Amino acid sequence: MTGSMLHLSGLEKFYGSIDHGVQAVKNFNMIVEKGEIIALLGSSGCGKTSTLRMIAGFESVSRGKILISGREVQNLPPVKRNVAMAFEGYSLYPTVNVGENIAFALKASRLTGSEVAARVNSVSQMLEISDILDRFPSSISGGQQQRASLARALVRQADLHLLDEPMGQLEPQLRTLLRGRIKHYIKENGLTAILVTHDQTEANALADKIAVMEAGVLQQYASPSEIKNRPANLFTGTFVGEPPMNVFPAHVSIENANLRFHLHDGLELSYNESDFAQPVRERMLEYRDVVIGVRPYAVHRAPMGAAGMIVANQWLGDQSHIAASFAGKTIVLVEHDRSAGAEGELIFLKIQPSDLHVFDPASGQALSHGQELA
Amino acid sequence: MQLRGNAMSLQLKNIKKNFKGITVIDGVTLSVESGETLVLFGPSGAGKTVLLRLIAGVIEPDMGEIWINGQIMAGVEPEERGIGMAFQNFALFPHMDAAQNIAAPLTARRQSRTDVASTVEKIAKLLKIEHVLHHKPKELSNGQKQRTSLARALSAEPSVLLLDDPLRNVDAKLRFEMRLELPRLLKDQNATVIYVTQDYKEAMAMGRRIAVMGNHGIQQVGTPADIYLRPANLEIARLFGDPVINLVNVRPESSPSGITVHISGMPITLNGFEVAIGRDCILGLRPESLQFVPENTTDAFAVDIETESPLNEKIVTLAITLSGEEIMVSRPANISGAASGRAWLSIMPSNALLFDKVTGNLLKPNLMDVSA
Repeated sequence: MTGSMLHLSGLEKFYGSIDHGVQAVKNFNMIVEKGEIIALLGSSGCGKTSTLRMIAGFESVSRGKILISGREVQNLPPVKRNVAMAFEGYSLYPTVNVGENIAFALKASRLTGSEVAARVNSVSQMLEISDILDRFPSSISGGQQQRASLARALVRQADLHLLDEPMGQLEPQLRTLLRGRIKHYIKENGLTAILVTHDQTEANALADKIAVMEAGVLQQYASPSEIKNRPANLFTGTFVGEPPMNVFPAHVSIENANLRFHLHDGLELSYNESDFAQPVRERMLEYRDVVIGVRPYAVHRAPMGAAGMIVANQWLGDQSHIAASFAGKTIVLVEHDRSAGAEGELIFLKIQPSDLHVFDPASGQALSHGQELA
Repeated sequence: MQLRGNAMSLQLKNIKKNFKGITVIDGVTLSVESGETLVLFGPSGAGKTVLLRLIAGVIEPDMGEIWINGQIMAGVEPEERGIGMAFQNFALFPHMDAAQNIAAPLTARRQSRTDVASTVEKIAKLLKIEHVLHHKPKELSNGQKQRTSLARALSAEPSVLLLDDPLRNVDAKLRFEMRLELPRLLKDQNATVIYVTQDYKEAMAMGRRIAVMGNHGIQQVGTPADIYLRPANLEIARLFGDPVINLVNVRPESSPSGITVHISGMPITLNGFEVAIGRDCILGLRPESLQFVPENTTDAFAVDIETESPLNEKIVTLAITLSGEEIMVSRPANISGAASGRAWLSIMPSNALLFDKVTGNLLKPNLMDVSA
């Protein structure tokens, strides 16, 4: 793929020797097109930061190739890769003020003094640091340093912008505001960005595609809506999504043209056989024992159906989270209003067949999503 | 406020504390009822942890009184206060495994070995650490250390429990589960709990009452609904809600249709706010209370759409008013909105919050006028 901005091919990272070391990244393949925003998402130790550091050139590549704009770079030092970076520890120059730090990134460009000033001003305004441009890095807060470092990266033209937890130090109110602005800025300037985050809200809000990582392995690389609607496996299904997806072990049978999921405690979810396409039915019957998953937003109350007892009803201002005991576990449903129902009340639950995700309990791989095979 | 017999198991009366001449706690008065979980919420630096340390007796106040179960605590040593604590820096015994750490308060009381084992097991199960009970602290993740520390605090069954951000290091999925389960667990313990958090969702989920700290004092105490729907001031309004509340400069004026403010140059009726006529105000609009409507709807204003981003199961639109203010609108993903260009937003007047620009305090509408 010569047309793509970044191509990772069979990328691997071992700390220590390849034979005896710890493998942090395993056979990682990914293509990023120009203008895309990619989020590497995972919990700590999943390999996302190692991957970003290899792309940046801060970490050696144990195996595989990194192509930036068609050029093999895995053996080049960071400065020769034409990437702009905002990393923790990749700090500001302490001897010059914030404005000069940001302007310094434009030194190599052929911009005039006033053009440089205009760019520095616009990126500083966007990141709410216009008022500290004449301050020195040591005299500003961690959150301000982080935004200054981000400004210095974003103001540059480069093939790739690599951002490591770019908003990790910011207070939540500022984070929500900046998410939208940063996305707008990256798109308007046609930049290609890869960010590492452990915060799925940030990944969903900013990224065109999310690379979900766990145990050094890329679990899924897809758009936020694809990951939400068609999670590749149980890990992705339960890791991405807030609140997390509800999952229940189930045994599948077809009786009298009804497809039934037998759950714990004798509970069952029963559907018309015809609610599921033939190949989906066949796939389920092939496995018989499956795990079903349903997102909290897709669990609805109904006048009758499978009963659950409310164990918590928590209102968070713009939504309510209700937990009910159901089939030996807790099922969570989310409603957009302030929900009725006190602890101990019985509610009846309904799950549309189109909202059911079915997984192989052994491998965790998705078998079907609603009407479609995975 | 008078002490209501034994019902108030913890009372703080006008507590003040300075460090090196800098005020960190400036006149805090607070009561917690027996068996209640009160959430202490605020940004970092607001003084939450200092307040907990004062209650615990690790430091003494410069002024004011602390009462626990009807007894004044001045001069009472920390270990004599009947308080359990789980602090951010874990403080586990490094040479003991998790089970021994959790059991430490029980073995100190010479409980029988089988009683101790069953208590430890029960608490460990609730906190989902039963699989690491035989690990030493250094073999535990930060989240597991934090839960071990919480388990140890619970096992002692103290009458007052101080929990300093106990879910801080726990990963998102587990944090969500714990948020659902902890309130019940604390209720079963029947302890009086002060629960510190910086996460507004956790604050709303955990407590029937929330005390919001800011500027070294308590700014508002109320139910989650009081605080979210009627925040006492701008600062509190900004601390609750995701995305953050929209704030627009307005100057209410009298008009034939009642009291109006202008956004994007378009009139919006806000009846009941006579008190605000001619005053510089800030109108607070929650992102989820704004709705996309057709052009020329009454009480609607125009915006230009910048971007849309998904936020969990919602869509957040970043828009700009015709006078250049940023407005965020959130809506459930299954409701259609406006993807680009010019759009119109309507306000439910009952959801509008009006603040005095100078003091930042919430202005209360004259309810008589609203019903008229």
